[in-house]
Amino acid sequence: MRRDGAGSPNAGLVLDRISITRGGRCIQPALSWDMGAGEITLLTGANGVGKSSLLRIIAGRLRPASGAVRRRVPVLYVGHQDGLSPARSGRQNLADWAGLNGYASDHARLDAAFLAMGAGYFCDMQVRLLSRGQRRRLALARLMLGPANALWLLDEPNAGLDEDGNAALDRMIADHVGQATASTSQGGGMVMAATHLPLASFLSPRFLALKSDRDLTVPHPQDKDA
Amino acid sequence: MNGFFAQVRRDLALGWGGRGDMLVMLGFFLIIIALFPLALGPDPEVLRKIGVPVIWIAAMLASMAGYTRIFAEDVRVGWLDQVAISPLPLALYALAKMVVHWLLSAAPMLVITPIMAAMLYLDLGKLAAMMLALGLGMLALTLLGVMGAALTEGARNGGGLLAVLVLPLAVPILIFGALASQPQDGAVISPHLLLLLAVLTVLLALTPVITSLALAECEAEGGA
Repeated sequence: MRRDGAGSPNAGLVLDRISITRGGRCIQPALSWDMGAGEITLLTGANGVGKSSLLRIIAGRLRPASGAVRRRVPVLYVGHQDGLSPARSGRQNLADWAGLNGYASDHARLDAAFLAMGAGYFCDMQVRLLSRGQRRRLALARLMLGPANALWLLDEPNAGLDEDGNAALDRMIADHVGQATASTSQGGGMVMAATHLPLASFLSPRFLALKSDRDLTVPHPQDKDA
Repeated sequence: MNGFFAQVRRDLALGWGGRGDMLVMLGFFLIIIALFPLALGPDPEVLRKIGVPVIWIAAMLASMAGYTRIFAEDVRVGWLDQVAISPLPLALYALAKMVVHWLLSAAPMLVITPIMAAMLYLDLGKLAAMMLALGLGMLALTLLGVMGAALTEGARNGGGLLAVLVLPLAVPILIFGALASQPQDGAVISPHLLLLLAVLTVLLALTPVITSLALAECEAEGGA
């Protein structure tokens, strides 16, 4: 486990005692974490423990009940929804998104992004005609258009992906953080992902295990004996 | 600012792709107006008297049908999430929606308004004043409608709620707009038009901000 970035002033992302509430109920009381360039964090924990909420808080889409998020790099977020309009093609959707964020979206860049996720052969079809896995590939291809130092926030990124898609995603993550053995990119990005599927063995993530409040309140058998 | 134009381009393309909705609204506008001569009889004197208010009320009711789904798809597919974390402020995203909605729904209504005016025996010499007032009034109404759409997004009977919320707020627009549409001295720029412009200015300053506050709290089901 790599902890180079921990506590250092150049950490790209710092979570300072964040608490998360959903529906008025506190699901995470105080969460602290930091990440530096080149790191991968995997969020683990049971359903409903706040993994998606945490990603949305870091993205800036939700406010934490207390605590602070400090980040120095832009974030790219792939949530449960793909963020693709069904009436537009994959290419148009990605160009729209790049325009929204002010990223370059010339033909060559888009083609490279589609190639990375193996989406080349359906990127000009209307999204409403595509399968769930194909839409997922387009949503992930978006990551290739962002800056190299970005923090990727991935919520169940491999939901609906087949084996090829999974392998492509693993390669993209490895390239982005610079952990690939024969990588052409210089790396330097960060990735935080919540997933129940294992990542490739050549990636070395740190694990952030979110505990459920049920774990905290249910008395341990030994406590009863005491 | 480039993000703003990217959003406008995207919504124009999507709106043009779904132009059936536009035609439904246009049909609604036409039918409401056509019902009045059928109910009142074809007496030109009567129709001339009620003509301007009828066109205004028809335009307001017909546009209500178009507001309900303005944000629905962006919320459902997660585009709103992407906008919210992008550099584009949500208020400008709201403004883009307003501009596009005005172009795609109010502008076509304006185009057929002269025909409606002729149908109601209106004085075509005053048509310019009415078109100008109606164009500005529809812009003001669009600002309110898009704000209402954001406030009622995700509500079970959003359409009805939206009309009840927006129409009372639109009363000043109707009063000044109808008066500006039939100026006594025939001048295009009347004091009432200036009052309508004042209302429009206030709405232009307030509604994008209120819309953005509503959208910031807006989440897709199962989004988190």
